[in-house]
Amino acid sequence: MSSNTFMNETGAEILKSIRAPEFILPTLLFPVVFYTMFAIVLPSTPKTATYLLASFGVFAAMGPAIFGFGVSVANERERGWLSLKRITPISSYTYIASKLLATIIVTAFSLLLIYLIAGLAADVSLSTRTWYFLLFFHLACVIPFSFIGLSIGFYFSSNSAIAIANIVFLGLAMLGGLWMPISIFPSALQTFAEFLPTFHLAEIALITIELKDTERLFQHSCIIFIMSIIFALIALVTWSKQRY
Amino acid sequence: MQNHNSNNLVQITNLYKAFSNKIALDNINLTIPKKGGIIALLGHNGAGKTTLINCLLGLCRSDSGQIEIFNSKPSSQHVKTRIGAMLQDTDLPDLLTTREHLTLFASYYPNSRSVKELISSYELSDFADKLYKNLSGGQKRRVQMAIALIGKGELLFLDEPTNGLDSSARRLLWTKVKQLADKGKTILLSTHYLEEADALAERVIVLHQGKIIADAPTPEIRKKLTGSIIRCISRLNHSELSSLATVRSVQQSGRFVNLHCLNPVKAMHSLLALDPGISELSISKPGLEEVLENLSKQQTVL
Repeated sequence: MSSNTFMNETGAEILKSIRAPEFILPTLLFPVVFYTMFAIVLPSTPKTATYLLASFGVFAAMGPAIFGFGVSVANERERGWLSLKRITPISSYTYIASKLLATIIVTAFSLLLIYLIAGLAADVSLSTRTWYFLLFFHLACVIPFSFIGLSIGFYFSSNSAIAIANIVFLGLAMLGGLWMPISIFPSALQTFAEFLPTFHLAEIALITIELKDTERLFQHSCIIFIMSIIFALIALVTWSKQRY
Repeated sequence: MQNHNSNNLVQITNLYKAFSNKIALDNINLTIPKKGGIIALLGHNGAGKTTLINCLLGLCRSDSGQIEIFNSKPSSQHVKTRIGAMLQDTDLPDLLTTREHLTLFASYYPNSRSVKELISSYELSDFADKLYKNLSGGQKRRVQMAIALIGKGELLFLDEPTNGLDSSARRLLWTKVKQLADKGKTILLSTHYLEEADALAERVIVLHQGKIIADAPTPEIRKKLTGSIIRCISRLNHSELSSLATVRSVQQSGRFVNLHCLNPVKAMHSLLALDPGISELSISKPGLEEVLENLSKQQTVL
């Protein structure tokens, strides 16, 4: 693929996103509004605000990835747009890579809003190096969530994709402990959280900002790596099934 | 390599395709030569037209048989730069403008037409900067047509391009298709309108229940259309009706009978002689229905 194609495709993806207020407003504003509520409006200390910054950043990366891939791929596939692309000389991977880059850019805006609120209003103070590490990590969270979104988009019709994406989005956020730490959950739910990518991503984010020690870092990273590969394989299978 | 004729754009041999229990394509053999002009793929909905086109485009895998297109497999890179297509029931994303859609697809091809030139020559400038969702049905179809042409393909597939268009939009599209053929493009156009095949194509391939039941120059197909259809309500039975003067086939449709006859005046005389009490009489020219009836009865490929 030429870089020109890739740039055009990414540009088109970003234009489609920002022209859809029903997509861009909830995915951009939900995380920052929730973060403001939990970390500032409700009584909290800079420590809880920092703690929540780690997990809400993961939450911010989840929306654009799950909805952007899940709902829009289902829709574009159903409309026959993907078939029309398949008869042109570009590779289907260009489409997916462009969507991924566009999603990362949208996520960066969402993260920027949360970081500004955290730094300016919630008295979160981190070293510059840590801010960069956190940003890099939160952006990387887009990748596993995109595979989940892709599987939804290739498997479900566009109408059911919206419902499924919502369930997955809210379920992963709540049960993975992105809104409140899982330590306040009953023990069965705490065990269940170990099976969710959101829990492990939030833990790695907490390790990044040094609120948890690095003891389980390797374990969390391995689990996330394996989960990502599984999600990618599911996406590949659902993709090849819908092609013929 | 097989003993193919490299002058052919498309060579299909013994192609079969079934979906769950339904046979979609049944032993298709088809050749499209270079500079093949406009070829109509005529048949009812569900006859297998879209499946055949999708197999040629590599969007659908056949169960058995061979497809060669530009002496390669469908969906190979070598083929993709030489074809263009307008697919059935396809919609582009709502939130991009005509110009953005064209620019995007132009960037897919190594040697594409200029977007500016396409916009002016296909009269898209009135809605070049409008979002796709705000275009009318006819305008959307024109954008899709422009996308089919943007890669300068020499073989174009148009799957029911005029379906759902009003007659003025249809005529505009016909003019454009004819211009493309004049420029040396080969166009395979599927339709269920006999009139469209007759008006546009030099060659008509009739597809019925997954089989090619006729493949001939348009004038030969037109010969099948000689005579008239007498439609009426009569008390005569099937064999009495079949024996009327010049009647070639009899079809029951509800309370009505359709008589395909070569000479309507003679047929009417003999009909009225046997049944003076016929009602709801109308006489018309044969359509796709009669051509299919006629051809599938003969079961001989021209």
